Amino acid sequence: MDIEQKQAEHIDYFVKQASNLKGSSLGNLVVEATSHPSLFAFSEIISVPNVLELEGTENAAFLDLLRMFAHGTWSEYKSVASRLPPLVPDQVLKLKQLTVLTLAETNKVLPYDVLIQELDVKNVRELEDFLINDCMYVGIVRGKLDQLRRCFEVQFAAGRDLRPGQLGSMIQTISDWLSTSDNLLVSIQEKIRWADNMSEMDKKHRKGVEERVEEVKKTLSFKKLQTVSRPTPSSEGMKRSFPNMV
Amino acid sequence: MASSSSSGLTFKLHPLVIVNISDHYTRIKSQSLPPSTTPHAPSASNVADAESSSPPQQSPRVFGCVIGVQRGRTVEIFNSFELLFDPLTHSLDRAFLEKKQELYKKVFPNFYILGWYSTGSDAQESDMLIHRALMDINESPVFVLLNPSINPAQKDLPVTIFESELHVIDGIPQLIFVRSGYTIETVEAERISIDHVAHLKPSDGGSAATQLAAHLTGIHSAIKMLNSRIRGLHHYLLAMQKGDVPVENSLLRQVSSLLRRLPAIESEKFQDDFLMEYNDTLLISYLAMFTNCSSTMNELVDKFNTAYDRQSRRGGRSAFI
Repeated sequence: MDIEQKQAEHIDYFVKQASNLKGSSLGNLVVEATSHPSLFAFSEIISVPNVLELEGTENAAFLDLLRMFAHGTWSEYKSVASRLPPLVPDQVLKLKQLTVLTLAETNKVLPYDVLIQELDVKNVRELEDFLINDCMYVGIVRGKLDQLRRCFEVQFAAGRDLRPGQLGSMIQTISDWLSTSDNLLVSIQEKIRWADNMSEMDKKHRKGVEERVEEVKKTLSFKKLQTVSRPTPSSEGMKRSFPNMV
Repeated sequence: MASSSSSGLTFKLHPLVIVNISDHYTRIKSQSLPPSTTPHAPSASNVADAESSSPPQQSPRVFGCVIGVQRGRTVEIFNSFELLFDPLTHSLDRAFLEKKQELYKKVFPNFYILGWYSTGSDAQESDMLIHRALMDINESPVFVLLNPSINPAQKDLPVTIFESELHVIDGIPQLIFVRSGYTIETVEAERISIDHVAHLKPSDGGSAATQLAAHLTGIHSAIKMLNSRIRGLHHYLLAMQKGDVPVENSLLRQVSSLLRRLPAIESEKFQDDFLMEYNDTLLISYLAMFTNCSSTMNELVDKFNTAYDRQSRRGGRSAFI
């Protein structure tokens, strides 16, 4: 989608930078990457070998921070805030945006209360401002805000980096989708056949009715030939009364 | 007279032009029939049976101009307008052409006169005169020919585009017509209207059942296409999981955002709205059926009364006719 296109060049830039730097300078790079307003994907940066080397060193905190940005939410951060370096306001904003994306993963309808709690905002006004300015205008989410029912209906949410186990569940979802659509195709074909059968039966029925009408007409004209032979004033009356009818 | 063109120009034709030409031809043809015969002429069809009373042996030829844009080697024909042909001088009405050209220039400043059109089965000698006449407006005009006769076995459009080339024949350089290939190019609006026209008569039958079947078939093929695409994605992801394909994070992110939109029709609100609309439709068809039945019943009662009620009156009928 367009988010991916917008991000692609930033990702390339940061990956290049990361492969050139080493050690503690990577720390600065991490902070820069996580505060960048249009970058939401960090798994490419994480997979750069120089960054992975940080594991276990004194700068491991930055790697953990990167991982937090890739997979975690604001509340997760708050619970481990002591171990990780402090965040600048840009990073806080980004982490909150990513939190919205994670919430949109499980539910399509997000109640305002849950959002207020997860995002640490004080009231609905702030929440809506945050959603509109920082999520929808950036383009990572698209949806409708329903104030009466106090919920946010998500129609589209950009993808976050995948956790290691998520690929399996995605494949499962896809195969479920495939089987559902296969069943749907079969039932549509059945409906088509039903429609054709019904029209066939209807035609036969119509033909049958017309044949019976023909038969009855023939037998009636037979009878008429027999009865018309009586020469009574009634036949004259019939002729006179004819013009009055129909 | 027609060989294949070697000028290297690519032609793009818009369906609007084809519809215009066939409409012009149909109008002229139905206007030239005597008023006793019904002017029932669907577009681009040769009404052979209506010709029985006054057969125009050859169908009337209509003429007009095509306009469009020429960019480099690509000639794109967008629109067309009609012209009167003067059979005495074998030329087109020049003053009218220029006036029309001026008017079109005001609305479409980019469009130039690219050539002219006519109907018939093949290009003729006299057409070259018209072609030459247009050469002072456009140095190499195109000639679009529409063949109005319907050939059910024919698979492609009966439209040919001719260009003029200078060939040396018998030592005399002459202009002759050569055929060129063309492609059809559509704008969104044209696509919608052509689609609409194509679906007016799905098959020879028009009953409700066949229309329903046609609609369902359309949905069926659409879902089948979606199915095959998803299957392809599924294979790709499986390969990625096994490790045959290098992991591409951007694609995975897009797929995950796509899958997040499922299930698409599960929410409670949808069920409510859907059931309401379903019930409304059922109600309406029930009501219509009711009305139908009651009117049939009414007719039956009327016939019954007419037939049997007059037995008391003198001169009543003896049988129900």
